[in-house]
Amino acid sequence: MSRRGRRNRRPLMLMRPVPGPSPVHNLWAGTKLLVVLAVSILLTISPSWCAIGLTASLILLAALLGGISYTCIPSVPRSIGLIVVVGSVFTIVNGGAPNLALGSVTVGLGGFLDFLRVTALGLVLLGLGAVTTWTTQIADIAPAVAQLGRPLRLLRLPVDDWAVTIALSFRMFPMLAEEFRLLAAARRLQPPSPEKRSRRVELADLCTAAMVIALRRANEMGDAIAARGGAGRISAGSARPGWADALALVVVAAMFGLVLTG
Amino acid sequence: MCAGFGSVPRWSVRVRSAGLPSGGMQPAELAQAAMTAALMGAIGVASIVIPGAVVFAWLGAVPMGVLSFRHRLGVGLAAAVAAGLIGFLVAGFGGLISVLTCVYMGAIAGQVKRRGRGVATMLSVAAGWGILVAIFCVGVFTATTYLRRTVIAAISSNVGGFAVLVREIPIVGAAVGAFHRAVENWLIHWPLFFGIGVWLIVMFGTSFGWSVLTPVLRRIEEVTDLTIEGSLSAIDNSAPAGPLPVVLTDVSYRYPGADHDTLEPVSLRVDVGDHVAVTGANGSGKTTLMRILAGSRPTGGSVQRPGGVGLGQLAGTALVLQHAESQILGLRVADDVVWGLPHDRQIDVEALLDEVGLAGMADRDTAGLSGGELQRLAVASALARQPALLVADEVTTMVDQGGRQAVIKVLDGLTRHHRLGLVHITHYPEEAASADRVVRLGPNRDVDPAPAAPVAASQTLSGPTILEVNDVSFDYAQGTPWSRPALRNVSFTVTAGEGVLLCGGNGSGKSTLAWIMAGLQQPTTGECLLDGRPTSEQLGAVALCFQAARLQLLRGRAGAAVAALAGFSSTDTGAIERALASVRLGTEIADVLIDRLSGGQLRRVALAGLLARAPRLLILDEPLAGLDSAAQADLIDLLVRIRRQGQTMIVISHDVSNLSPLCPRTIELERGSLVSAVRKDQE
Repeated sequence: MSRRGRRNRRPLMLMRPVPGPSPVHNLWAGTKLLVVLAVSILLTISPSWCAIGLTASLILLAALLGGISYTCIPSVPRSIGLIVVVGSVFTIVNGGAPNLALGSVTVGLGGFLDFLRVTALGLVLLGLGAVTTWTTQIADIAPAVAQLGRPLRLLRLPVDDWAVTIALSFRMFPMLAEEFRLLAAARRLQPPSPEKRSRRVELADLCTAAMVIALRRANEMGDAIAARGGAGRISAGSARPGWADALALVVVAAMFGLVLTG
Repeated sequence: MCAGFGSVPRWSVRVRSAGLPSGGMQPAELAQAAMTAALMGAIGVASIVIPGAVVFAWLGAVPMGVLSFRHRLGVGLAAAVAAGLIGFLVAGFGGLISVLTCVYMGAIAGQVKRRGRGVATMLSVAAGWGILVAIFCVGVFTATTYLRRTVIAAISSNVGGFAVLVREIPIVGAAVGAFHRAVENWLIHWPLFFGIGVWLIVMFGTSFGWSVLTPVLRRIEEVTDLTIEGSLSAIDNSAPAGPLPVVLTDVSYRYPGADHDTLEPVSLRVDVGDHVAVTGANGSGKTTLMRILAGSRPTGGSVQRPGGVGLGQLAGTALVLQHAESQILGLRVADDVVWGLPHDRQIDVEALLDEVGLAGMADRDTAGLSGGELQRLAVASALARQPALLVADEVTTMVDQGGRQAVIKVLDGLTRHHRLGLVHITHYPEEAASADRVVRLGPNRDVDPAPAAPVAASQTLSGPTILEVNDVSFDYAQGTPWSRPALRNVSFTVTAGEGVLLCGGNGSGKSTLAWIMAGLQQPTTGECLLDGRPTSEQLGAVALCFQAARLQLLRGRAGAAVAALAGFSSTDTGAIERALASVRLGTEIADVLIDRLSGGQLRRVALAGLLARAPRLLILDEPLAGLDSAAQADLIDLLVRIRRQGQTMIVISHDVSNLSPLCPRTIELERGSLVSAVRKDQE
């Protein structure tokens, strides 16, 4: 890869919302979680072109309303493009052969269309998650999970502990990321060892270093939690679903109807 | 295979549930589960969205394995739920499946080890579990007819097309043709082949998890001390709060098996309205004293208080700890203030934030705060509990100069505005000035504040230019909506043998510039040249000593870590001893575990390894952070000697006054731009 190309690549930004507010930002985090879950299940049950198309339009609509520009999308490495091209060539060449499990499909482009559909399905599922995380404050997710999971308490499941764990793991994310960035830099700066070290030893070295860092962080955080007398509230706000959320759910329900009856 | 782990793992954590609702997760369990979830979620997501990272997907089994080895199943379940949510949110079902795969691999390996069993047990558990998973997967795939047909058709036509394309090539064509027929056959009988495939993945994956976990667990046990004894999580917090007045009589602490006291006998009384400062050098037992005030049992002497410590409870004991980042638990500033409070407690968050000088910041993300802001937020969160006793433990060690004064100002006002007793533990004597009483711990080490004679500026100015920073700018996440400038048109040169101090406040771009000079990052525009060539093409020519030197010392023992940094063979004891001697460390330190070294020793060991390669340029990032005054003076003295030998050096620090003898020239960055380039030629 040329240095020039490397300089201009857009990095992948995860769990960082784009500046708001927007109608999509303002939706309750729980609504967005439910929509992602529902649409994912729908696509698994019925990955028809209709469902994929509707989901793609839903993503575009959310992106439009949420002020997400195409610059959010990270640069796609060439290897991915290559795989798609090779796959397309293979499946188009295969066009003549009968499709065993799918006899009804038109001979010729059948295999290619199937390949295209699986690829589109993967893209749409990734896009759905991306649009959600780009418009949702991380801080709002754990409280929403706690509220959504409330019925599970009847089954004596420790939903509140789970919500606390989720919130703390989001809190830990940037800290661990920074330490691993330094760890990776330290390894890059290190000269090659004169001894021949096996892959296995290298892997164990790296895992140990990473785990020791992470365990130390977790110990410090454990002390901090103990200093607050254990878990309790995790959020100062009290976000609740509103009319916009109901509207969003109606839209998704309509989508279900179209796909499953159509 | 599991020799070395007795029937009961030595550092597995036994849970006491005193004072908390039964079954609820303990502080240490929550933190460990959250850490594991963050790691597994990150690995799971990376393996889906970063092409090529699939290879590492199973490494998520390692953190899960360590967690399962140390904790009960319920803790692993919480980690699995959190990691699954992260995986699903970011990478959909693919991410979820990737995470869940690591969960069972690690959980089986870890739990089998926790119970002291060996490979045979692991394999039989995995075999049984594999059957369940295979049945489940085949069931799901059977139910989702539409998806199955599409996927099968896509696979079939890919392989078919490949076969058609290579048909004419002599041997390959025949081989691929046979493969094609085999695949077609598998696809017809998919339930059988899919089921067996899933079962094999479970067996293979769990064995992989086991084989990586075994050396990692042994090494972790060797390298670190992770027993929960003595940590705050082990404190019995069940009695009703009544921490003041507390009377310590000849209290001392000695770790089991140690030959001397970590904390030598000390007597102390704290009542409401008292402001007591505790000072002492590193290693004098300051943090141990904090833990005893917070409720840990001393090994000698007696502690008397009217009730329980009431850690984190209303009118109990509140702590502000040394590690600014790790003690902030909320994702937003306001979340942190209320974190852990009972759900029905009403708090005036704005007023508390106002008192510590963070007014109007309630909705800010805590991840973007500076060290000083984090510590002031920690004070606000402590005050939200209206504590009777507030203990601040070395709260300014990781904070820059400006931030330090703001934190001290907040602390000094506390006893006037609240009904509480304040114990402020610090290794900076000047911070103890406003206390009513000062308690000194440990031997009275007199510190000479100006030990080293300055390096003459004139002796170094004539050398050739070795580093050229030409009009360097850098943007984070360039081209995305998150883009943020870090450096703007920075230009300067460094000549051979020169010492330069690079200073600037939080977020001024110092660290980014250091990474660019070390070649770890390329400037967005402009260039950074070492001897006329871009630094990014000659990684390692510039030595960079991190603020967190611990992250550079990747082996278990100091000698091996030096060898790894210097590129020596770890058996070359002569070279290692010479390297250690160059930073005035004795040979005996080579066998000491890295985790047993003090902050000053850590920096010296890292320096020993870096200097052994005779770098063209040495960059030190905040070398004095976290050291007490004596260790700071020692290190500056050492660095001055190294400079005198002609080593070119750039020191990044906010501690201008202490470092000026070392670096005659100062460069200041402010919000990514060069402010001044002062050369103290006339000294």
